[in-house]
Amino acid sequence: MVIDPYLIGRFVGAAIVLVGAFYDLTGSIGMLRFPNFFTRLHAATVGAIGGSVLPMLGVSIYAASEPALGEYRWFMAGASAIAALIILIVAPAGTHVLARAAYRSGTAPKEPCTYDAGEEGDER
Amino acid sequence: MVTPETLVAASVIVYIVALTLYTVRVVKGPTIPDRILAVDALTYDLAALIAVIGLLLRSPLLVPSAIVLSLWVYALDLYVAKYLEGRELGD
Repeated sequence: MVIDPYLIGRFVGAAIVLVGAFYDLTGSIGMLRFPNFFTRLHAATVGAIGGSVLPMLGVSIYAASEPALGEYRWFMAGASAIAALIILIVAPAGTHVLARAAYRSGTAPKEPCTYDAGEEGDER
Repeated sequence: MVTPETLVAASVIVYIVALTLYTVRVVKGPTIPDRILAVDALTYDLAALIAVIGLLLRSPLLVPSAIVLSLWVYALDLYVAKYLEGRELGD
């Protein structure tokens, strides 16, 4: 029995996409259930990194091992990998900028608060 | 018989459920940063969903729009942050 290596690559890519979909569902449930803006940041990170970067890499592996796409499969694999890299850089930067602005302007309430490290000064 | 196409199609269904839950948070979020954070997560997952659907439909030209979407939502982040702090965009 001969096992097709392209089929193994497609199974690996599809499994990574499915794991990423699980991360995405977890992040969306957390985004709905957490009580606070500063705790929802955690759910947004799970949804962005686990739910978007990981499926992009899975799409890259899947597309590289799909001969039915022809020569365009290298284009699709490279574009997916570059999109994953861009989201990996851009998502933490945007979330950090938004959290800093929300904290400093006092727009978001921080009601269930156990410890606030920014209260003790260090104003910049 | 489990094929890779069925796994990818099942993940599309999970993605659609997650997008619905994010949309609930966008609509009812109490403050502005909540909504912008939910739009962030919504757009990153929409980018991943576009790539996955491009895989199912076997059309590779759908994937570069995911790059444009992620960069657009980063610009939205910067703009709303500057708006919340009450400054101009160049400071």
